Amino acid sequence: MSFLESNVYYMGALGLVLVGLLVILVRHNLIKMIIGLSIMDTGVNLFLVAVGYSRGGTAPIFSRAASDPAAMVDPVPQALVLTAIVIGVAVLALALAMAVRLHGHHGTLDMRKIRELRW
Amino acid sequence: MVSPVLLIAVPLGLAFLIPLVGMASRRATGLMPILACLFNLVAVVLILPAALSDAIVVRIGGFAPPFGINLYAGPLGVLFAGLIALAGLAVSIYALGYIRRGSIRRYHLLYLLLLVGANGVVLTGDVFNLFVFFEILCISSYALVGYFGDRGGLEAASKYLVQGAVGSGLLLLGIGILYGMFGTLNMADLAARIGSSGGMSVFVPLALIVSGLGVEAAIFPLNAWLPDAHSSAPSPISAILSGIAIEVGLYAVARMVMTVFGAESMMAFLMFLGAATVLAGEMCAFAQRDVKRMLAYSSIGQVGLVLFALSVFSPGSVAGGLFQLLSHTLGKGLLFLAAGYMIYRSGSRRISSLNGMASRMPITSLVFAVGALSLIGLPPFAGFASKLMIVGSVLARGGTMLTLLLGAVLVGTLIEGAYLFGVVQAIYFRKTPAGAEGGRAPVSAVVPMLLLAALIVVVGVWPGPVAEALRAAASDLMDRTAYMGGVLP
Repeated sequence: MSFLESNVYYMGALGLVLVGLLVILVRHNLIKMIIGLSIMDTGVNLFLVAVGYSRGGTAPIFSRAASDPAAMVDPVPQALVLTAIVIGVAVLALALAMAVRLHGHHGTLDMRKIRELRW
Repeated sequence: MVSPVLLIAVPLGLAFLIPLVGMASRRATGLMPILACLFNLVAVVLILPAALSDAIVVRIGGFAPPFGINLYAGPLGVLFAGLIALAGLAVSIYALGYIRRGSIRRYHLLYLLLLVGANGVVLTGDVFNLFVFFEILCISSYALVGYFGDRGGLEAASKYLVQGAVGSGLLLLGIGILYGMFGTLNMADLAARIGSSGGMSVFVPLALIVSGLGVEAAIFPLNAWLPDAHSSAPSPISAILSGIAIEVGLYAVARMVMTVFGAESMMAFLMFLGAATVLAGEMCAFAQRDVKRMLAYSSIGQVGLVLFALSVFSPGSVAGGLFQLLSHTLGKGLLFLAAGYMIYRSGSRRISSLNGMASRMPITSLVFAVGALSLIGLPPFAGFASKLMIVGSVLARGGTMLTLLLGAVLVGTLIEGAYLFGVVQAIYFRKTPAGAEGGRAPVSAVVPMLLLAALIVVVGVWPGPVAEALRAAASDLMDRTAYMGGVLP
């Protein structure tokens, strides 16, 4: 039980990544694929936060941490996640804009039907 | 001395000036990428002598690595920055005349951001920083592939985006695991810690990072997006994607696998992947009737050849692989630029519509032939010198398996020769169909094409100095101890 307990955040995060990947792989609707992409991104971000988490840790603010630096959560992954969220939002916005334009051209978002380019 | 930071900072600053300049004059925005590339070229020339003798480590904000982010301007990074500036310059002059539709300001802004991302990837010494620059490169290339907003372009761009985004998700996951294991993001520090830990535990992040970067580098099973994206993009973007974007992806793979992970046991696997990429790419290219799609598949084949040469992992073959990368950037960039105006004039992407092009567009046809012959590997062009270097060094390394794989790669090269000769034959020796349109390419297209063609010939006739610099770059990639020692005091 202790393995599960100590790794529950990692498992949840990786589970989200796998759910996202599954959605991207099995769905044909572009919007659903983009939702899958978003779930996967969330999973990755959650994983990064979990890497820096320590149970009962304080916020990484210098004045409070000075009294007990060891009780502070790791601030680096949080900074990484902030950046990754911004990048993820940009990709999401671009993907949705393309989906709108693609729907204008084809009248559908089913990627099985949008197949004019072939091997 | 010019600081290597400026190689990233100046183009980035100019990129964000574009909307302001665009308010005054729409045409002037096209000059900004040219300005940025010229600056970078001059800066590279000034930095290169110092970087060749001793890598320059720049501490951003004065924080000493491994706590701060550092740039690592070694021979490889600076040479890459020079190549990006050179190809970027040619393509941005070409785009002045070619890009007339759509929002010209946004095109130049995105294009310059793409170059910034590429420069950042090759110069950074921090894995998360590498991820961020990689995303700048990828996001601007997704947008540029769909720039015209036509059916094909948008379809290709959305496929590219979904695959690329999954790749960068995997890359970030790998970086997160590395941080969790070693508590550092600095490449040199990671290299030192991975070297001491050893074992299988680093395999998971290595696999995630290689597959994440492999999407952009178009390594064999991960390259389904490439033929669509490279053939549907506007021609200058096809040239820069084929000439710069996948090369930068390959650089990142090589830097991570060789320098950071030091995973020599992974090399045999990558060698097989490289040979498979060559065969898959060249065979698909042979079957194409669409000239841009054929060139796109040929890029896959060339990437495979570079990957194969890099993963043979002897000093000569790594230098040969980098040389091949350089000659591919020049050759394929030139081919896409030349094909761009031929398609523009003839109105069709089919190879048969290029019949008799030589009488209608003599200069464009000539440079197309130069690019094609260089890519095939005929003397006196750059492709000959690079392929000779690869074959020589692989044979010197020896071994049955290696020789067999080299044979497979050379079969791929033969196929490449067959279809490229076919196009050159159509251009020069087939009769022009009746009523075919065509006019000469404008000066803004001829100048960059002649520049690239001249470079191909010069490098092909005097390969010595280039090969010498690339040997230094190869040791930059392979010598982990020197890399760690350079960054960490």
